[in-house]
Amino acid sequence: MEPEVVEAELVLPTHMKFKKIQMYEKYPKGQARVRWKHLKQIIQAENYQNYPPNEPNYVNIESPPSTHPCKRICDITGYEAPYFDPRTKLHYANAEVFKVIRSLPNDYVQRYLALRNAAVVLR
Amino acid sequence: MPFISKIQRQSDYSSFSSNHPIVIDNGGSYFRIGWAGESDPRVIFRNIIQRPRHKITGETITVVGDHNPALLKYFDCTRSGPRSAFDGNVVYQFEIMEYILDFGFDRLGANQSQINHPVLITECACNPVQSRSKIAELLFESYGVPSVAFGVDAAFSYKYNQQFGICSKDGLAICSGFNTSHVIPFLNGEPVYEACCRTNVGGYHVTDYLKQLLSLKYPHHMSKLTWEKVEDLKMEHCYIAPDYASEVRLFQKGDKKAEEKTRCWQLPWTPTPVEEAPSEEEIARKAALKEKQGQRLREMAEAKRFNRINDLENEIRDLDMLLQRLRHVAENDIPSILGKTVYTSKQDVESALVKATQSLRKAKGEPVESVEKMDPSSTEKYNLINVPDEMLTPDQLKQKRKQLFIKSTSEARQQKKQKQVEEELERERQKKLEEERRLENPELYLEELRAKHRDLSEKVEQRKKLKTNGGHSNGNHNGSGGGVGRGERLNSSQRERMRLLTTAAFDRGKGEDTFGTKDEDWQLYKLMSRDNDDDDYDKPDPDEAELARISSRLQEIDPTFIFKSEAGSSSAAEAPRFRPLTKEDFQIILGVERFRCPEILFNPNLIGIEQAGLDEMAGISIRRLEASKGVKERITNSILLTGGSCLFPGMSERLETGIRMIRPCGTPIKIVKASDPILDAWRGASAYAAAMQFPHQTFSRMDYYEKGEDWLRSYQLRYTI
Repeated sequence: MEPEVVEAELVLPTHMKFKKIQMYEKYPKGQARVRWKHLKQIIQAENYQNYPPNEPNYVNIESPPSTHPCKRICDITGYEAPYFDPRTKLHYANAEVFKVIRSLPNDYVQRYLALRNAAVVLR
Repeated sequence: MPFISKIQRQSDYSSFSSNHPIVIDNGGSYFRIGWAGESDPRVIFRNIIQRPRHKITGETITVVGDHNPALLKYFDCTRSGPRSAFDGNVVYQFEIMEYILDFGFDRLGANQSQINHPVLITECACNPVQSRSKIAELLFESYGVPSVAFGVDAAFSYKYNQQFGICSKDGLAICSGFNTSHVIPFLNGEPVYEACCRTNVGGYHVTDYLKQLLSLKYPHHMSKLTWEKVEDLKMEHCYIAPDYASEVRLFQKGDKKAEEKTRCWQLPWTPTPVEEAPSEEEIARKAALKEKQGQRLREMAEAKRFNRINDLENEIRDLDMLLQRLRHVAENDIPSILGKTVYTSKQDVESALVKATQSLRKAKGEPVESVEKMDPSSTEKYNLINVPDEMLTPDQLKQKRKQLFIKSTSEARQQKKQKQVEEELERERQKKLEEERRLENPELYLEELRAKHRDLSEKVEQRKKLKTNGGHSNGNHNGSGGGVGRGERLNSSQRERMRLLTTAAFDRGKGEDTFGTKDEDWQLYKLMSRDNDDDDYDKPDPDEAELARISSRLQEIDPTFIFKSEAGSSSAAEAPRFRPLTKEDFQIILGVERFRCPEILFNPNLIGIEQAGLDEMAGISIRRLEASKGVKERITNSILLTGGSCLFPGMSERLETGIRMIRPCGTPIKIVKASDPILDAWRGASAYAAAMQFPHQTFSRMDYYEKGEDWLRSYQLRYTI
């Protein structure tokens, strides 16, 4: 290891004096990685349906959808967007922006759509 | 940059007694650790790890937090970006969490065989028990912590500010963090989780949105837009518009105010050295050089010609001499004389002489008589043609056929020549006629010519457009090459072909299939085949030829006529590619983005998250609260803003208008910002852990194993002690 790296203590030591179980004991090299449950799986395993609904939990404290009418803004410029292009599925503000979106390559269109979670996802 | 990591290792760890609690604010973006009762955390770093490989040794190492990026050059980071232990606002990756805790305790100076201090650590509101128990287990098992307490960051921040009278015991904490935003009501100084609400939008989403928007706007500078840089841009420039619609209209109109609000980030840029136009001298020098080279070439060609003429003259002289000698000698001696030469007969010598004189003339530049001399022997040449086949031997028959062929080709050649001459004459005549007309009335003639040119060029243009239909008109040059792209219009012939294919594909009648009984049916395939697609591309267009003629004529006589060829227009289209890059090309302009990105906190549906924004959340939270009307009114009089995403300028004002719209008219509304929206959670926790009653709020390893998961589920701190 280079001296400047060592001096900056960039690398986390593998052995910690204050630990009762070291990392290399817990996660030995070469062993299959632990597959941690993602939040979705954690929530599923919580079985919230078995508890009274008025008891607060991670799921029922979530905000409901907004009651305000959905604001449509131009995907490119952020202006208010009265128009919708059925070909690219983008919202746009005016003719100039329309020109732009029609000249956009498809992957850019998809990236713009992905910004508001509306891209076509192929599985 | 407002956030600066503090990662110096502390040296006074041993001076704290074993019952002095350690306080950890385990936030989505930053990890803060320090001692209870102190005003600031000792160690602060970004809550991420990287596990790159060393480029030389290949060993995988762990880097926690953010370090000097220059040092990472020794490591191959391409396959392992920064990783977080969080999914949303919940810790799920406990291996990463352990590395982070390792680093945190290490930098706090821990040097005994275990962490012999109670630990107060923050978690999200209503943390799933699985995550909570895993953290507790980690602290107990790996670090040997004697006791643990969990608390919510927003609550600590509220309590901390309550201490200073910034907010009262009944109020609302609006906490917009890194991954999520919460609104938590407080009654009598205790958080009411039953009435709290969470929207999964936070600073992370704002930065990500800004990063995506900018990299879509400036694809060439994508590499410059790192996460850290965009985070800086966000903190420096983003603000919350009082009203998005009116603010954006300012920009749409290109108002002066909008111009003032536009920010610009100049990327490092060095102007490319401008090539100076060559000076007069240089041009003259180059022309002279060219002239000299031309001269040399001309001289060489001249010398070559001279040599050739010389050679030919010599040859002619020799042949003349030979002929003369042949004339003087007897017939019998001819073969003996010719034996020394390449010639076989006298005729041979004569024809060689004729050839040589002709080439000499050519070389000297004299006109060669073009009219083919009718050979006196022509009748001889074609002597067999008129003889009927029956009278000829097979050998002669062959000869006859050859003669026939030669005769017909030479005749055809002559006919063609004649036709050319006639055409030439005709053209000459027409030119003369036109010239006469021009001289008669030059104005009218020119006008006519122009009109004709216009018509023709329109016609040609139209045809071209039909051929390549659509391609240019809607400017849709997406990189799919020659193929027909998404929704692209087809040209007429392709369209016709498509129509045929579709009609053929869908059976037209309900009756039986009679295709193929008639011969015409099979013609369909000929029409469908791709071969006839572009056959008319090769044929020269008579209109085009005429157009070329007229434009050249116009060029001759009309000084105002500008000849615009296709080559000219296409080079004009390509010109911008070679435009030198300027300072402006290296600027990242932040206009609407400045308030468009933070707007997602109020309108999460802008990024496709179907949840209520901050202002609505306050209303939802108050609605969920089971309390008297008086309390609900009182509650809006003490709204505390905390969390890193509350730092955007304009936040309080926007929230106030938003909440005022939701609450009944005349409700007192007071919105205050936390004294330090980022550090107050840790400070509140620190003050809490320093209280005398704190040990009663913790639980030990024994409790953890004896009381079981259900108890841990309902475990909750009392914040007022």
